[in-house]
Amino acid sequence: MIGLDGLRVRGGRFVVGPVDLHLAAGDYCGLVGPSGAGKTLLLEAVAGIRSPVAGQVLVEGQDLTGTPPEKRGVGLVFQDGLLFPHLTVAGNVRYGLRRRAVASLDGLVRDLGVEELMERSPGSLSGGERQRVALARALAPGPRVLLLDEPLSAVDGEAREELREMLQRVTRRRGVTVLHVTHDVGEMFSLANTCAVLVDGGLRQVGTPSEVLRRPVDEDVARLFGARNVLRVARPPQGDGRTVLLEGGSPVRVGEPVHAAEALVVVRPEDVTLVLSGRAAGGGGAEGGASEPNLLKGRIERVVSHGGHSLVRVMVPPAIEVSVPSREVGRLELETGAEVELRFSPEMVWVLPAQG
Amino acid sequence: MRRRRPEPFTVISAVVALVLVAFVLVPVISMVVEAGAGFLGQALRQNDVRRSLWLTGSSALIATGLVFACGVPLAYLLARRRFPGKGLVEGLIDLPIVFPHTAAGIALLTVYGRDGVLGRLLAPLGLTFTDSVAGIVVAMMFVSLPYLVDTAREAFALVDPRYEHVARTLGSSPAGAFFRVSLPQAWRGVLAGALLMWGRGISEFGAVVILAYNPKIIPVLVFERFEGFGLHSALPPAVLIMIVAFVVFVVLRAFLVPRRRGTRREDDR
Repeated sequence: MIGLDGLRVRGGRFVVGPVDLHLAAGDYCGLVGPSGAGKTLLLEAVAGIRSPVAGQVLVEGQDLTGTPPEKRGVGLVFQDGLLFPHLTVAGNVRYGLRRRAVASLDGLVRDLGVEELMERSPGSLSGGERQRVALARALAPGPRVLLLDEPLSAVDGEAREELREMLQRVTRRRGVTVLHVTHDVGEMFSLANTCAVLVDGGLRQVGTPSEVLRRPVDEDVARLFGARNVLRVARPPQGDGRTVLLEGGSPVRVGEPVHAAEALVVVRPEDVTLVLSGRAAGGGGAEGGASEPNLLKGRIERVVSHGGHSLVRVMVPPAIEVSVPSREVGRLELETGAEVELRFSPEMVWVLPAQG
Repeated sequence: MRRRRPEPFTVISAVVALVLVAFVLVPVISMVVEAGAGFLGQALRQNDVRRSLWLTGSSALIATGLVFACGVPLAYLLARRRFPGKGLVEGLIDLPIVFPHTAAGIALLTVYGRDGVLGRLLAPLGLTFTDSVAGIVVAMMFVSLPYLVDTAREAFALVDPRYEHVARTLGSSPAGAFFRVSLPQAWRGVLAGALLMWGRGISEFGAVVILAYNPKIIPVLVFERFEGFGLHSALPPAVLIMIVAFVVFVVLRAFLVPRRRGTRREDDR
């Protein structure tokens, strides 16, 4: 449906690409990356706003690289909605329609809940309403591809949740292919069936969200997806290649044999169970695999609350962070200096080649 | 509820500002007082003053219209695009602001005068610039175009270019995005620029007097009367043009130019 072949885009001295990305019709792709990764530049190239320096943009097999934006059949929604302030909501929604096509808007404005807003001016709308109108405006001409640049990040709380559900429902119903730029991994998980990770202008990984979460290709991707424990291996693996010695001297069993001489071990905080005096406190890793779990002893260095859960940093060594429900932190009196045991299944350990 | 006493800084700023306001206001009031009661009727009864007033306003309007046609696209390009020599173009556009206007008149004379390149070229078509309305218009255009171009450029620069990007994805051509999205958002600023240019045009003397002393626009008439007949003869046209400019400015600015977007006052909160 949409294909980017060796696409390179320049923004000042910064160059994105080459990017190769292929999405099927109706795919919802979350383009994830840290700030400054080049996500918006890539989106602008797909929209036709920015000319690529190399490569192709294909939609339904048709090369659109040199096609102007108005002939691409691509909808675009920015973070702040960017409703035309001199037009009413109705004027905005109808902007891309020919006069005769206005009647076909009814279903769309109903689905997005903007019926009641049609006569209002953009300045009188809340953040969530603005984004709903921007979405209606982008979808009204019936684009084949919808490009979203951080569409939820200016909206908070319930409105954000409501908008997310609307976005999912409306795009599925219309079968439109979506490329959704975000730096919020949680947002991507809730919406996308495909995930593309862009770091420093390079497309590092493409896969389903859970593949990227569980099998990150490098340290940057792992960290972007919340893997806080990326641990350096001190010595090449011995024997069956399934036991590595971490820097600090702790041995760890891994799920698959390690072949690289220099490697990194990734353990997600939520996959580690923290045990204090025989009582389990958090995570599910220890019971997650069939093989004997890893057992490491250490001392709590710090406990940081993140609301519903807390991150407990345990010095083994090396330092390993464990996600623990905040209510357990109080109940088990997890405090700095307490001696604890960490358990995690070898299947929950992912090995990466060390980055240069 | 007790009102807060103003900060000393605010008081000092207000006093200093008042000095500047008085600097402008006192000569204006003094001129009106000097002209005496009935000066307006007296001025309007004089044929040469009426003719001159009409000539001044209409010439400035034509000059503004001509610059508007070319200056708005230029302002838009300067606000939106990067191109080789852009800094040079911006400098050239602003040059008339720092150019002595009599020198500007001389420069124009070398091009539009009887022996100038364009003067010679256009004379067979019946278009002459020395001592003609065309000359007045050209002089007004030259010295006042920066006011329109600069103000319009600022107005376009305040419109987020992503509005146009969205409009393009919704089917608008570049021209469509300009006319349907950017211009409707920038028009007040563009019009403010046109108004400034017109105002600058009606007050022009130096360049006009070199290129087209006749027919006489109000500034030339004031000068001539002052030189020939003294202060009291020069006062009626002087006060008249000041009142016309003031009324046009105040009325149009009130209707057309709201407070700039992005600026906030302390008491806005």
